[in-house]
Amino acid sequence: MYGKGLKTLSIATVATLAAAACLVFFYAPSDADQGFVQKIFYLHVPLAIVALAGFVVAAVHAIRHLRTGDRRHDARSYVAIHLSIIFGTAVLVTGAIWAKASWGKWWVWDEPTLVSFLIVFLLYATYYPFRYAIEDSERQARYASVFAITAGAFVPLNFIAVRLAESLVHPRVFATAEGGMPGKMWLTFAVSIAGMALLWTTLVKFELTAKNASGQLKRLRRALDAPDAGTQSRIAPELS
Amino acid sequence: MPALPLDEAGKYVAGAYVVFLVLILVYVAIMASKLQRIERELRELAGFAEQRRRGEGEGAPRPRGAAGRDAETEERVDRVAEEMRAR
Repeated sequence: MYGKGLKTLSIATVATLAAAACLVFFYAPSDADQGFVQKIFYLHVPLAIVALAGFVVAAVHAIRHLRTGDRRHDARSYVAIHLSIIFGTAVLVTGAIWAKASWGKWWVWDEPTLVSFLIVFLLYATYYPFRYAIEDSERQARYASVFAITAGAFVPLNFIAVRLAESLVHPRVFATAEGGMPGKMWLTFAVSIAGMALLWTTLVKFELTAKNASGQLKRLRRALDAPDAGTQSRIAPELS
Repeated sequence: MPALPLDEAGKYVAGAYVVFLVLILVYVAIMASKLQRIERELRELAGFAEQRRRGEGEGAPRPRGAAGRDAETEERVDRVAEEMRAR
């Protein structure tokens, strides 16, 4: 039952995101260097962390799929990648807006943080055409899992590369020599990241519930010998 | 670069938060349309099952399915329904 607990999770998500918004605009102090523009940080960074963590979750489900052969893990991996790509799109757009406000440019090509995230994002963007190119559903699921594991290995590499790189303009706020963020900013950031993680989990659960309902409907149609509606997706894995 | 004044910075901050909100709303709208499709198909299927049940009651031929398959089909329907209840 994928729908179990969805209502509670949705309420928790809305409450946490509302609390985060209140903290961002009424509690957290403005950054001494960047001023009010720094408020984008509480949206952009949690989105990036959750998107990258989502890719790792997809890789874990892909491993479980290859080990057990259970198609439900393939569906979970697929949905995790789907949501992380949506979050990744938001990361790129909000990052570009922040860059324009802070640096006067929408994009900086010699900045490793930006470029490495773009590489990971584009890598995952090829997941759909890759999956779509394979007709046989068994092979499709297996190859997609191999892809998710291989691409998932790039995510920690991305984190490490970013930390090792000599950044020119991208700010460092965690564990810096100056001591990083003050307590109020940390609290706001922690609530923001919790809200974003809850949102990601809720949407994953929501999509899996819809997929499960669709799969059960198809099974029922087959059992009743009813004519096929012909609306089933070719690429999306089914939970039947 | 020096910090932007509030009136100018506000536009960028609002833009970033609105973009995020729009993305989520678009996703939810797409999911809602998928759920509507599932609901429509479920209604069609319920109508199909009802039509077949009425056909059986009147001794009329079934809308689909070959002769001799009825008991087997019913068994499959029961099995799927039981599995769905168990989940």
